[in-house]
Amino acid sequence: MNDGSVPRTHALALEAALQAMEGDPAPPDAVVLGCTTGGMLTTEELLKKGVRDASRFRWHGTGTVATYIARKIGCLGPSFTISTACSSGALALKTAFELIRSGQAKRVLAGGADGLCHLTYYGFCMLQLIDPQGARPFDQDRAGMTVGEAAAMLMLVAAESPPPGARAELLGGGISCDAYHPSAPHPHGEGALAAMRDALEEAEMGAAEIDYINLHGTGTQDGDASEAKAIRRLFGEEGPPASSSSKDSFSHSLAASGAVEAVISTLSLQHGLLPATPRCKRPDPELSLGPVPSPKPADLKVVLSNSFGFGGNNASLMFGQVDHKPASFARISHPSFSGTPDRFANQGAALKSSGGVVRNVEHRLRCCDAELQNEVVDPGSAPSAVRQKWLAVLGSACLTGVGHMEISTERFKQGLSLAGRCPSEELTRVLSPRALRRQKRLSRIALALAKQAHAEAGNDSSFGSVFVGTGFGSLSETYDFLQALFESNQEFSSPTDFVGSVHNAVAGQLAIRYQAHGPNITTTGEDDAFEQAVFLASLLAPKDGTSCLILGADEAHEKMTPLVDPNSPVPGELADGGGALVVRPTEDPFGIALAPRFFKMADDHPRLLESLVKSLGGRDAVCSQIGAVLVGIPASQRSRAKEQLRRFVSDTGFSGPVIDYRRQTGEFATAAAVAAVLAVRLLHEGVIPAHFTPDGEFQLAGKRILLLGLGSRVTAIEVVG
Amino acid sequence: MEVLREELKSKIVKTLDLMDAKEEDIGNDDQLIGGELGLDSIDVLELAIMIEKDYGVLIDNKELGQKVFRTVTTLAEYVQQHRTKGCA
Repeated sequence: MNDGSVPRTHALALEAALQAMEGDPAPPDAVVLGCTTGGMLTTEELLKKGVRDASRFRWHGTGTVATYIARKIGCLGPSFTISTACSSGALALKTAFELIRSGQAKRVLAGGADGLCHLTYYGFCMLQLIDPQGARPFDQDRAGMTVGEAAAMLMLVAAESPPPGARAELLGGGISCDAYHPSAPHPHGEGALAAMRDALEEAEMGAAEIDYINLHGTGTQDGDASEAKAIRRLFGEEGPPASSSSKDSFSHSLAASGAVEAVISTLSLQHGLLPATPRCKRPDPELSLGPVPSPKPADLKVVLSNSFGFGGNNASLMFGQVDHKPASFARISHPSFSGTPDRFANQGAALKSSGGVVRNVEHRLRCCDAELQNEVVDPGSAPSAVRQKWLAVLGSACLTGVGHMEISTERFKQGLSLAGRCPSEELTRVLSPRALRRQKRLSRIALALAKQAHAEAGNDSSFGSVFVGTGFGSLSETYDFLQALFESNQEFSSPTDFVGSVHNAVAGQLAIRYQAHGPNITTTGEDDAFEQAVFLASLLAPKDGTSCLILGADEAHEKMTPLVDPNSPVPGELADGGGALVVRPTEDPFGIALAPRFFKMADDHPRLLESLVKSLGGRDAVCSQIGAVLVGIPASQRSRAKEQLRRFVSDTGFSGPVIDYRRQTGEFATAAAVAAVLAVRLLHEGVIPAHFTPDGEFQLAGKRILLLGLGSRVTAIEVVG
Repeated sequence: MEVLREELKSKIVKTLDLMDAKEEDIGNDDQLIGGELGLDSIDVLELAIMIEKDYGVLIDNKELGQKVFRTVTTLAEYVQQHRTKGCA
């Protein structure tokens, strides 16, 4: 299938997607992918050769993998990319589950994909987390993981009774953050325990009902010890059921691993098979958790699958047997997966494995709200029940090339440029030297934003969950790690840079600083990462009255940004910054609130604009409720976006101010986060300044501001005040 | 030994970019990890790479790392015994 035109991760992901859709080729309503490496292997080769042609880097971004799959399979709905290191695949499935449960989709293709690359392999080497003998999870002599690659996709289908061919049922998922350390797990498994408990609660089950646990079990000393402790705490005196890690057989495929293990869990249920950890020869007595030594038949009804990642990011999924009748035990020795051979443990350069791990797995989903099932689903467009949900803004802050929020807002209102790199004193001014140590540019931007948004919200309204959108993540750490690695002939690089290079490093830092133990999600995408973060916050933020932080930020890197961001201007004129909002989910918005409304691929979508207008309540609602539009038009897509905007205005007859904000913020992937904060300021003042209208100041008079994202993706977020 | 200790202190400050500490703030027998300096397991790994690069001394597992990087003195002793390069 791969014609060589796309990087390895993309090819793996497509292979898995096509297999998951075999026999049922209708495009899904949405694609949710966990991914951390994206086009990194290709990027590394190009950087090494000194290639400066930006078009060769167009598949660099992790978000491009989901987009690629969506295009290939004709999915016009949302495509979300979750980059939370080794929990990404499991979080993608949890997100898909919530998309279906909230009635926003009926069929979602979800999973994870990661191709091997130098960054991850040598990164784990520098952290001394690779076992030269190959991973031996839970063994007393275990010495680390085997890094591998894979893709696994699952088709989740909403249904009240099992559809033909259903393999298992996804019963629920729990997510949490340790908020403890950037790379080490909590020593007592605090976050892991919380994730497992939440998964049980969502599935409305007790721990005793779990028949088998597919462990995260990477084979590292601390990781296995922490997981074992969490499991012992969950099961107490009763003791845990059978468990095993699949990572000695399949390696640790990072963002894919949660999805690979979801597939293993569903096959175990379907075939009545307990998978094993054959390389654990001498179970560590200190862990009191001996994994199944060899595969054997068993009557499995409920399986728990754990996935934990850097940044203390935890996800647990509950799978149940399709409940038509007890399955007869199919005796199969081992699922016929092609894993990554152990030799990767010894050979960093051996990037040759075929690691596609895929099955056509269809899940029945328990749908909590039966009524939603009867509503016609327009994927990526909020259904009526979801339209009542808002995120009330408690505090906000932005940073731009001209500095902090006050300066940015004033200049914006005068129609002046905000573009440029954030002044470095803005990034160091609010943070102590110790807080700044080990933090490079993106982390500094994010920490400064969070501090200011948090202060504005009032320090008593601390947030429990974190949603970060970033187009390209920590480019400084990534570049510095690779440079040092290449310069030393692949002998040395900085472990600190590796830990910082992970896309969710920033969200992990924020969790530690603010002790946010709830969901900790990082989304990535070229121009829609912030919009994805808003969508996921509305989907995953706890509805228990606690607040959450939504933050969008990118850094301008002189070397990397011009190569990887198709919209970036010439070096020397780069822009960066971001915006942060402390919000609280509510159905009764007080003050200023925002809500995601629309997220679709623009490609050949026959009724794109019609569907957008409908999601906003129709033509009349647009004209009567919306006062102004802040429109995001990426430079590389200006002609297509201008046409979309022209259609929107002519279809609705909208006559209020339309502000093309990237003209002022400059081009960077999460410029929409700045726009969101500016929209909050404008609503606060109730006026659109004279600069943006032909007839002087425009009174909003209670009307909303629409944040519209145009181009290859069309997104809409409403801000009400 | 004293020369090596001072050299190591300077390298620690530089390698870890300790913005709020100077080499003279680090006592020979001060606890390095989890002490006043606020260093953690990632810093140990960062220092291990510096030691390997500059002195040819391999510190490739956590237990050894915890032992060797206890204080500047323990580090200097270990480097002194095992060094294959660098002059001091």
